Amino acid sequence: MAGRTIDRWLRVYADGYDLSGFSRSIGPLIRTYTEADMTCIPDTVKGVLPNHATLGIGTLNGVFDNTASNGLHVLMKGAGVMRTVMIPIGIQAAPAQGDPAYMGQFEQKDYMAETAEGVYATIPFDKSSVRGASLLYDQPWGWLLHAKAAETGVNAANGFADLFTPASTAFGGFMVYQVFAGNGTATLKVQDGTTAAGATTDITGMTSGVIDCATPKYGLVAIGRTATIRSYIRWQIVFGTATTVTFALALVRASN
Amino acid sequence: MTVNTGRTVDRWISFNVDDNGNVLRTIPINSINGIGLPYDEVDLTAFMDAIKGVLPAHPSCVITIGGPFDTTAVAAVGSLSGSHSVLYNLPGPRSVPLALDVRIGINHAWESGEPTFGITGAATAGFICLDYQYAGGGLYAAKFGVFAGSTAPEWNTTAHA
Repeated sequence: MAGRTIDRWLRVYADGYDLSGFSRSIGPLIRTYTEADMTCIPDTVKGVLPNHATLGIGTLNGVFDNTASNGLHVLMKGAGVMRTVMIPIGIQAAPAQGDPAYMGQFEQKDYMAETAEGVYATIPFDKSSVRGASLLYDQPWGWLLHAKAAETGVNAANGFADLFTPASTAFGGFMVYQVFAGNGTATLKVQDGTTAAGATTDITGMTSGVIDCATPKYGLVAIGRTATIRSYIRWQIVFGTATTVTFALALVRASN
Repeated sequence: MTVNTGRTVDRWISFNVDDNGNVLRTIPINSINGIGLPYDEVDLTAFMDAIKGVLPAHPSCVITIGGPFDTTAVAAVGSLSGSHSVLYNLPGPRSVPLALDVRIGINHAWESGEPTFGITGAATAGFICLDYQYAGGGLYAAKFGVFAGSTAPEWNTTAHA
């Protein structure tokens, strides 16, 4: 779906866990450039050039919940660590293939339990982590290839042309995956092609490798900055010992 | 329709900016900072002056907008494109700056002859996008500055494209 939306349809995934059910707000989701003032004496107006980008997801506010194994308190009480985050934004519905997603690897700065009648958890995040898989990309916005759901078979559907770059690009990109559950090993990857039906070619390097999905898994996999991604794209899974895997997969395609 | 003169309301303001391919698009906004060219003021008052005296130095132009996060596909200028569809890959360095045009219709949709503020895009003239963020609550925020060495934005009564 395309159009406007509200936060009700936003989801928060981190390190292989769906935190949405414990989250009350998150953000702002930023892509901000430092500005170098380049104004010279005879210029008619002040001019700037952008320098480094800052990416970040602001602060996650949630309910303090110590549910064993997946409560927000249990998962996030340890600050000072890098989190691999995916924030898909559904458009007037739960996130679906083609919806925008903000993603990256960010340092979790703190974890604070606070009270205001209820007891809440405030979790501020810092900028992108240098411990992350890549510092090559200043684009955090991509789109969902696979919304959170269980799969028991390979993807035989056609690829789709994303809303934003309906043509081949030659500036690389990265994928982020969040595996929430499974019962064995599998490999997640992204395929592309020049036609919808032909989106069957693995994008070189854009694969999770074999992962054991019996426990939550996550990752950011970047390819080269000049790698080509063709017009049509789709998710794909190769089952190893697993027969079912519940995951979300999203792709950032750099456009310059 | 004929060109109107008189007062107006913000219902008739449209915000138009190039997309990443330098095609002018109209995007939804619900806020914009004051637009214009404020000049730096250099105080040149001497001790023995009776009053303070100044001269203007460089003007500047920073435009901040906000509005609904929207993934609608891009459309021809004059029809609303999705804000995210245009802005998501706009920030950062670029070789060709962005045309930008704020059009203020006078009690009806803007038409040529009514006020505009902006820069027509050229190889070395225009704006750059310095910030784009999902601000929460279904809203975005974005910031634009003038590209280094560009001509100055101007008030006009014809479109900047």
